[in-house]
Amino acid sequence: MHTIKPKAMRKHILYGIVLLSILLSGCEKATEFNSSPRENFEALWKIMDENYCFFEYKNVDWDEVHDRYSVQISDTMSQYSLFDKLAAMLAELKDGHTNLISSFDMSRYWAWYEAYPRNFYTELQDNYIGTTYKIAGGMKYTRLANDSVGYVYYGSFNNGVGENNLDYMFTYFKNCKGLIFDVRDNGGGAMSYSDRIASRFLTEKILTGYSQYKNGNGHNDFTDPNPLYLSPSDRIRWLKPVIVLTNRRSYSATNDFVNVMRLLPQVTIMGDRTGGGSGLPFSSEIPIGWSIRFSACPILDVNMQHTEFGIDPDVKVSLTSEDIAKGKDTIIDAAIARIMNPQDTVRIQ
Amino acid sequence: MSTNESTMIGIGSYNLQDTYLSPGININYTGWMVRVLNERMKVTGLADGNISRQQLINVEFGSTHNGAETANAYAGFVDYDLGYHYRFTELPVDGLKLLAGLSGRASGGFIYNTRNSNNPVSGKADIDLNLSGMAIYNFHIGQLPLTLRYQMEVPFAGVLFSVNKGQPYYFISEGDTEGLVRFSSFHNKWVMRNYFTLDIPVGGFTVRTGYLNSMYHTNVNEIKTHVISNAFMIGIVKEFISFGGKNLKDTNKYKSAYY
Repeated sequence: MHTIKPKAMRKHILYGIVLLSILLSGCEKATEFNSSPRENFEALWKIMDENYCFFEYKNVDWDEVHDRYSVQISDTMSQYSLFDKLAAMLAELKDGHTNLISSFDMSRYWAWYEAYPRNFYTELQDNYIGTTYKIAGGMKYTRLANDSVGYVYYGSFNNGVGENNLDYMFTYFKNCKGLIFDVRDNGGGAMSYSDRIASRFLTEKILTGYSQYKNGNGHNDFTDPNPLYLSPSDRIRWLKPVIVLTNRRSYSATNDFVNVMRLLPQVTIMGDRTGGGSGLPFSSEIPIGWSIRFSACPILDVNMQHTEFGIDPDVKVSLTSEDIAKGKDTIIDAAIARIMNPQDTVRIQ
Repeated sequence: MSTNESTMIGIGSYNLQDTYLSPGININYTGWMVRVLNERMKVTGLADGNISRQQLINVEFGSTHNGAETANAYAGFVDYDLGYHYRFTELPVDGLKLLAGLSGRASGGFIYNTRNSNNPVSGKADIDLNLSGMAIYNFHIGQLPLTLRYQMEVPFAGVLFSVNKGQPYYFISEGDTEGLVRFSSFHNKWVMRNYFTLDIPVGGFTVRTGYLNSMYHTNVNEIKTHVISNAFMIGIVKEFISFGGKNLKDTNKYKSAYY
């Protein structure tokens, strides 16, 4: 063994520290925290330019938007003013999946339902389901019309629906003539729950649409459409009539659910046009630390068409002011009537 | 042949970047990390006892945030490394051994950004062949016997899993799996691990202190990633001879409380 003196050891340690500091400098160039209005504006514009998926479909000239908003950005503006300007720029996209999120506000574009009739009130729904309905997997369910019609209200695809939840629910409805599946005001959530529920209504594997994502930074740099299939569940399935109730607030994963359900022969979509939202959102951030969510990956229907602006119902029904005054939900009434008297379908339409 | 085994824990820093999690911008997330590292080294019977085997099992986890401290990302990795080194022991410097060889490494892990919508996780899985070199130096300070070691490992060929830019994992679950496994080498991956340790006898134990610098950079499927960690390590070393199987029958070699 070799012996060295403490003084020499100190010299070796010094060399070691120098070597370590060289190694530590291995970081790539990155965007640091930065509150500059100009740099955050440019960063947001670029993120959207490279990753947003509906520029062409919505006929948005993003370069023109840049030039129009760029002159409104000043180095001295407050973070609140900057947020409002960036929010206004994003609103040009008319996209419910696009939000700028700071610690003090979340920008949003909600005109896709705010400008339309509500067509759903829980106060009216209460008159049908009362207070003794069952709850499983985030679904409220009960039997209506002297136990002849099953009614399910699913208010969010973020509510975890388990296979057992669905089995018990369908068993509860086994003597019903038909089923109302109400997804009004359901703003979306996990597409996996959409698939799980829809698979209970299938008799065979079907094509449900196509997926795409952007694999480059150009506005039209998309992958080839990849077919999406859905197979029937191997558990309890429901093949009797189904009426899916929709309104403008049926959005995102709910839009996808309707996109699948409308393909099935025993299913009728009733109510108002859905809100759309067919682009899966991705997230990023700008240097000031604000988060940006935006539509990134379009889901196309079976005809390779976008459903970003919604899906029309098979049977258009709206709440009437007379029914609201009487405490009636016109759409639930129409769905019950259709199940109980399918021969009257033409009159209802 | 005896086995030299150490188990060390480390505390240090993480510096993460993954453009799958922040498309369109390069944002670093920084924070703390902890790791547990188990190492075994043993001289084999290969090449007249001039080849030693090294096994490393590393588990690490960390928590990071962006510069504005408005978002968090967690990361965790597990890796297994098995290497064989030729040992150069007849050197002009007393107490110095140089080891050079190859290792195979399999690792997997994730970076999870808690704030993201359909791109919350960037999953990682790598299998690599590495160049590996080590210098071990035994010396004394006064009467205290010490052992200093430096090891460097750099992968030169392998395969890795990478999601595609802009691709949600939901689409992968729907069968869109093209391009997820890529050949990796210096054109798309630069990884280096630098490992310093110092063994110090303390009473009846040998304490191993160390410093582990790990740099992982990839640019695959239009996604840039880096995971950089620096950790100070401390643990206990033991040198043991394992008796197993037929060797157990030769009870003259050891005194067991059991057999």
